[in-house]
Amino acid sequence: MSAEELSGNSPEVKPEKEKEQEEPMMEGLLLPRDTLLSAGIHIGTRMKTRDMEQFIYRVRPDGLFVLDVKKTDERIRIAAKFLARIEPAKVAVAAAKLYAHEPVKKFCELTGATPIVGRFIPGLLSNPLYTNRIDPEVIVVSDPRADAQAVKEASKMGIPVVALCSTDNEFAGVDFVIPTNNKGRRALAVIFWLLARQVLRERGELAADKDPAATIEDFEAKLSKEEEEES
Amino acid sequence: MSEKAAALSLVTCTSCGKPIQPGTEATKFLCPNCGEIQIKRCGKCRKFGRPYKCPKCGFTGP
Repeated sequence: MSAEELSGNSPEVKPEKEKEQEEPMMEGLLLPRDTLLSAGIHIGTRMKTRDMEQFIYRVRPDGLFVLDVKKTDERIRIAAKFLARIEPAKVAVAAAKLYAHEPVKKFCELTGATPIVGRFIPGLLSNPLYTNRIDPEVIVVSDPRADAQAVKEASKMGIPVVALCSTDNEFAGVDFVIPTNNKGRRALAVIFWLLARQVLRERGELAADKDPAATIEDFEAKLSKEEEEES
Repeated sequence: MSEKAAALSLVTCTSCGKPIQPGTEATKFLCPNCGEIQIKRCGKCRKFGRPYKCPKCGFTGP
């Protein structure tokens, strides 16, 4: 079973049920609501933590917790303001999960941040004897559980941590949460694209009504032939 | 004497209000929302994910 299926982001689960968010049409979202919902950024897991309760919109009959898209949108805007104040090279982005590799690489390419893709080498932040050590002012992690080593070292060094959290994550060691689906391939692409666009807009490098040259599809992790056949 | 006392005063945690001991896993950053107030979080509050509130804009994190 693929990660997307586990996260409830499989094609057959997607669209119709998600017209669910019965509240009136929300104005002023960063992307049209349908685009966000079809990417599945609101899809959580079958588990919830007390920390994430504040961001949960409702529970689906199949037991899946659904995140509030409006809160996700609001948090992306605030996170972008926060990251835009920091020198680009002093922002590090960690992605241990496979589906987050490509979005993080693209995000860093656009914004000038430092990518930490794949295995986080212990000591990368905290070992002064390690020659490739980096000294960021803030670190963004795609999943606080998968990137536990990054969160641990950032805590030790007093570096603020921005984390993409799903319904099953806890806030331990995290200083700023972006509630979103952090498992889906498309969801991660949309979130990092939105964040990159918003950071560039906040810095004044992109007009408020313009989009970056890279599209959401460019941010999406490429499927292997086997996975394509499966899907 | 008063100058010495001022130099020794410790910063307090925005979440719990307790003084932050040096050498702990504390952090400080500008309020993510307004960017005007410095938020300080002690190691314990970070570990337990305790909420903090910006005294200026009212933003509540994490």
